[in-house]
Amino acid sequence: MKLLIVEDEKELSKSIVAYLKQENYLCEIAPDFKTALDKTESFDYDCVLLDITLPDGNGLNVLKGLKADNKTDGVIIISAKNSIDDRIAGLNLGADDYLAKPFHLSELSARIAAVIRRRRFDGNKVLVLNELTIDTLAKTISVNGKGVDLTRKEYDLLLYLVTNKNRVVSKNAIAEHLSGDEADVFDNFDFIYAHMKNLKKKMVQAGCEDYIKSIYGMGYKFDI
Amino acid sequence: MKLLSKSLKGYIIYSVLILLISVPAYYYVIKSIVAEDVDEDLLSQKADMVARLGKVIDKNPSEYLEVFEPDVYIKPTSLPQRADSFYTISLYEAISKENVPHRVLESIAMLNGKPYQIQIKSSLVDNDDLIISIVTVQAILMLLIIAGLLLIARFHSKKIWKPFYATLGKLHEYKIESEKSIELEKTEIDEFADLNKTISSLTNRNHEVYLSQKEFTENASHEMQTPLAVFQSKVELLMQTTPLNGEQAELITELSEAGQRMNRLNKTLLLLSKIDNNQFNIKEAVNIDTTVQKLAEQYMNALNQKNISMHTRVAGDAVINANQTLIEILIGNLLSNAIRHNVQGGRINIVIEPNQFNISNTGNTKSLDASRLFQRFQKQTADANSVGLGLEIAKRICNLYKADITYNYADSLHCFNVRFNNS
Repeated sequence: MKLLIVEDEKELSKSIVAYLKQENYLCEIAPDFKTALDKTESFDYDCVLLDITLPDGNGLNVLKGLKADNKTDGVIIISAKNSIDDRIAGLNLGADDYLAKPFHLSELSARIAAVIRRRRFDGNKVLVLNELTIDTLAKTISVNGKGVDLTRKEYDLLLYLVTNKNRVVSKNAIAEHLSGDEADVFDNFDFIYAHMKNLKKKMVQAGCEDYIKSIYGMGYKFDI
Repeated sequence: MKLLSKSLKGYIIYSVLILLISVPAYYYVIKSIVAEDVDEDLLSQKADMVARLGKVIDKNPSEYLEVFEPDVYIKPTSLPQRADSFYTISLYEAISKENVPHRVLESIAMLNGKPYQIQIKSSLVDNDDLIISIVTVQAILMLLIIAGLLLIARFHSKKIWKPFYATLGKLHEYKIESEKSIELEKTEIDEFADLNKTISSLTNRNHEVYLSQKEFTENASHEMQTPLAVFQSKVELLMQTTPLNGEQAELITELSEAGQRMNRLNKTLLLLSKIDNNQFNIKEAVNIDTTVQKLAEQYMNALNQKNISMHTRVAGDAVINANQTLIEILIGNLLSNAIRHNVQGGRINIVIEPNQFNISNTGNTKSLDASRLFQRFQKQTADANSVGLGLEIAKRICNLYKADITYNYADSLHCFNVRFNNS
């Protein structure tokens, strides 16, 4: 998997690379508009993380260039401007997703995984982790070939942890992922505990190893 | 006092004063001129008479001297020679049957070498009538002139000051956020043209300052996003480091919380500046009832956790023309406040009526300070999750749609009312 990170803030691109190295992605960095244009014209990427506000140009023009060349690179816009207009403009131009800064790295990782899954044309939309199988198209899971009935939230939670496997995902990131803006209003993680408890119970009952670990109350980790 | 009446006041006082002084002055001046005239007349009459009588007078003058009476009275005298004297007396006149003022000349003249006393009288009644007529005409003329002058002055002032009043009216209506600068009418008067020019450039400058201040808030919040993103990403990377002990984990969690709060604050500031910049300008028909239901569903978890019962009464369709997102933020803020500041097992009452809605909740049994409630950063609790801008945002949204938001505390319920005035 090849990734291009178009981001002028060096520290942020460094963090993204460090976080994503687990996934065995090949990450390249374009710190400015010109480099981004050169790289997208010369190479194909599975996913491009695109910052709109670059020192020497508008990131949206990189996206326009990609579409003009009929390239199929997945594009996630990461923007400091969380405006609806920007979001609509980006998505209309053919971006796959839009993420407002500041974001959780775990959220970014989940979005990248989703974009890559969607772009895969070999029909392989199933994640297999030992005895656990997740069908991302049907949104179902099975353990040792036997289906496990999960609620929508439990499924989202599991998929989120799996796409960030072997890394600690903070409670904040989980809360935001599961409930959107509501997490902003009530800093209350009780509902995460409830969902987590049910999820773990169901999986263990189905004969799955207990991969989900709580890390010092800081967050959770899908350890495999 | 109006400018016009102020400037005319001086004129009026001066005119009335002159009128009051001029009429009696005129009267006395004319009267003295007429009296002088009469005296001269009497003197020349006497001189004439003495000259003519001197030739004809002989042994017994008293017999024919009487023919001159009553206007002229001549008789021999033994008095010594002296200067002529005038005086005015009132005498009864048979013809008009009333007392009439007379001017009298008394003189001693030598006729044929003998001294005679001569008295000549002249009635003043005609002269007095003349004087009164003249003064009356004069007074009327003066009045006409003054009234005319005042009217003309008033008319002119009105015309001259018209551009000034036009400018004043425009200034009254000026709003710094909506207009760039005031467009003022052209005027021929240099001072007003100068004033208009100054006002135009002043308002223009003010508007620019306002814009740059708005821009600053927006830019500052935007610029904050990047370091916040870096901070958050580093904290997340820190979570991945090994080995990690409980103490470190706790510190990292606390860092993460602080970062989260900064995010929230920054997002809220951005939202405020977006409302100010009118970036939510797409309007549609928004149904309050459906919006409340949608939000209540979103907040179901929080409601259940505190065991809060929510009662909604819809007493009429409240549909307003507004931006859906903003109305959701408005109701969301009020609703989340009602949940956050509620007690375990409390209740929330929502009443929706045409053009207004009420959200009331149980909570602290003390009324909140309504005067400080809608000010920014006025937190009435020590809750770290609230940034103290929720009600400020609610108020701004209400202002945008010319709605009134009020708070009152009654029957141990904290009640917020939002009334849309023209939707």
